[in-house]
Amino acid sequence: MNPNFFENYQSGNFFDEMFAGSKKAKAYDFYQPIYDRIGDLSESEFEQKKKQADSSFLEHGVTFTVYGDDKGTERIFPFDLIPRVIPDVEWQKVEQGLRQRILALNLFLNDVYHGGKIISDGVIPEEVVKTSAHYRKEMIGFDVPQDIYVHVCGSDLIRDENGEYLVLEDNARCPSGASYLLENREIMKKTFPRTYQKMSVRSVEEYPEFLLRSLEYLSPRKSQKPVCVLLTPGVYNSAYFEHTFLARQMGIEIVEGKDLIAIDGFVFMRTTQGLVQVDVIYRRLDDEFLDPLFFSEESLLGVSGLMDAYLKGNVALANGIGTGVVDDKVTYAYVPEMIRYYLGQEPIIEQVPTYLCWRDQDRKFVLENLSELVVKSANESGGYGMLIGNASSQKERDEFAARINENPRDYIAQPIISLSRHPTFCPEGVEGRHVDLRPFILYGEDIEIVPGGLTRVALKKNSLVVNSSQGGGSKDTWVLSK
Amino acid sequence: MLSRVADNLYWMSRYVERAEGVTRLVEVNRDTDLQFHANENRRDYWQSALSAMCAVDDFSSDEINDHELFILFSKNWSSSVLTCINMARENARMVRDQLSEEIWVELNNLYLFLNSPTLPEQFRTDPENFFRRIIRFSLVFQGLADATIHHDEGWRFMSLGKYLERSDQTSRVLDTLTFLGEEPSRLDLIGALRSCSALSAYRRQYQGALSLRNVADFLLFSRDFPRSLRFAVSSIDTLLHEISGVPSGNFSNEAERLTGSALAQLNFSGIESLLADGLHESIDQLQRKLIEVGQSIFETYVLLPFEIKNAGVAPMVQRQMQQQ
Repeated sequence: MNPNFFENYQSGNFFDEMFAGSKKAKAYDFYQPIYDRIGDLSESEFEQKKKQADSSFLEHGVTFTVYGDDKGTERIFPFDLIPRVIPDVEWQKVEQGLRQRILALNLFLNDVYHGGKIISDGVIPEEVVKTSAHYRKEMIGFDVPQDIYVHVCGSDLIRDENGEYLVLEDNARCPSGASYLLENREIMKKTFPRTYQKMSVRSVEEYPEFLLRSLEYLSPRKSQKPVCVLLTPGVYNSAYFEHTFLARQMGIEIVEGKDLIAIDGFVFMRTTQGLVQVDVIYRRLDDEFLDPLFFSEESLLGVSGLMDAYLKGNVALANGIGTGVVDDKVTYAYVPEMIRYYLGQEPIIEQVPTYLCWRDQDRKFVLENLSELVVKSANESGGYGMLIGNASSQKERDEFAARINENPRDYIAQPIISLSRHPTFCPEGVEGRHVDLRPFILYGEDIEIVPGGLTRVALKKNSLVVNSSQGGGSKDTWVLSK
Repeated sequence: MLSRVADNLYWMSRYVERAEGVTRLVEVNRDTDLQFHANENRRDYWQSALSAMCAVDDFSSDEINDHELFILFSKNWSSSVLTCINMARENARMVRDQLSEEIWVELNNLYLFLNSPTLPEQFRTDPENFFRRIIRFSLVFQGLADATIHHDEGWRFMSLGKYLERSDQTSRVLDTLTFLGEEPSRLDLIGALRSCSALSAYRRQYQGALSLRNVADFLLFSRDFPRSLRFAVSSIDTLLHEISGVPSGNFSNEAERLTGSALAQLNFSGIESLLADGLHESIDQLQRKLIEVGQSIFETYVLLPFEIKNAGVAPMVQRQMQQQ
């Protein structure tokens, strides 16, 4: 009989998702079936299951493209077989917090593009909003369909040393990852069917239906079935797999810029039977690439005249234009205030305390404590433009200090949070690795959140960066129904 | 359906068919070459194959200087088996939502196989297995296309791609016989039939000694052999009319008109009159007509009317030309 894979597991001085106590680790009750089933696999059974899962991903083309490679090499997103489990009660609170947050973010966007009461009431400085890289002054006074700006939101969650959930950042432009969440589930159901069944895991399969419903809700033509399309930058985009996957699941066309044409304020797609009018575009392209006429970018990806049609109300875009203001990490710092201001509630999920370098006092503190902080550029994502103080060299810290002094508006700093860890298969056996959670919040007629989300895991030992471009992988996330 | 999607489906299936045709050609050539060497009758059979595929220039400028390896694995030539499968997959990748999972998995597996670093070694040790794998893949692909997806407009564009490519392949195979510079031998004729997987079907129609006349007659005019030119053109004609909804015998676009005229020629002229006009010349003329059919399909279903004259869409047209 093999020893159980988890027997010598060390949870260390971190909050562990699966094990309580750091000395003699004991799995939480809700993890027990996983402890028994996966822990008792033999080495060869595990290898076989792992191989099965990997080749299933590769065969089905569940891949992402690595940039900077002339062949556009595709890789599978590394996948770990030990699922993360979230008990029902815990998830309910997270879900409420996410609902509250997306409501506040939308009210805020609506406000800043319609007079900015929150600014004149002194809650958030005008400077902060107007200097945000993704603020679109063209949107001032424009009424977006159904007053919703963010239809799909990915707000990344982490857990601190005490297991407290915290919002790390909001992704209100084109968050990706939903397809991995769905594929991971398919694979896990095949790999551990009985354990899955026994644990009463809540399903995530409805995501594409919810998404389509929230898109259709935006259609300017109410008299007929809306024509929705998914606009992709094309086959070389790193998330192309996801785009085709979602389009197929929703049963809508996936289009590239060259498939669309704007004529006299309406958008059409070119079909073999002639032009067909489009009502709603789920666009997976950033604002500035959508329309070369409007944003004067030298982009071949977009559609000339699209923005004209949008501003005339003849076509809807999801997400709306200008939502990037709330992705700005400086704006992020004000979200708790937004929740109090618009909803009169206290935030249900806390967020990470944030120092804003444009404030003289904060900047002074940040510069004096660089080695104990994480410094982030306000408008970069994917784990780029970041300094992790305690893992940095003096030279890197000096560089960041210079950058902060030069452009304080663009930098924020946060205390280093040691993310919770989760047992993960590593070359030397099962070890703890840091994880986060990206849930997907859909805002249409109702707010829908499929239970759980994509658990991303930093596969490099001690790494806190979970992004796939930086050596991250993923796990399936099991929210239990009881 | 989206015009671009129709275009991608059409090219995906054209490339798969082309990969099969080219593979058959190499497999047969290898064999014929072997026989000729055994008979000490050294003739450059590969050269005539390259001529028929319009690849002489590509071959001379390629870094691969072995005929066979060039035809199979050149990264630069647009009709090598490797390029065909890569392009087929590239097109498939853009329309994955239209394909069944089985089709994608088969195509993607073959792509992974062809691009694996151990392939050269595998090919050296067991070339037969390699040929069988490509041909088998193409047949599985066709079977899956017929059995696992809607026979709707998209499927018709796939079928169009298949039959246009097949008509092109068959005519090229026949054309190789005119590039020999001498009367084709028995081995040449057998080679041509085998390249179209037509040897036993031919035998059932014509017993006894092989002749160029009979082989040409069979490959051009057979009414029910699925790789004959007449069969392919007749299928193209049907598909085009199914797509447009215009009754057969009429035409609503240039592609239908040209196909109808080519079909009339194949239906009502015979081998004798064709030989009288010169085999190579007649094949050449048919081939040009089929290329025009491909071009008109593109202009009818992919471009918008005002774009055909507009120079602004040059990139898309160029892409089409490259692939032809």
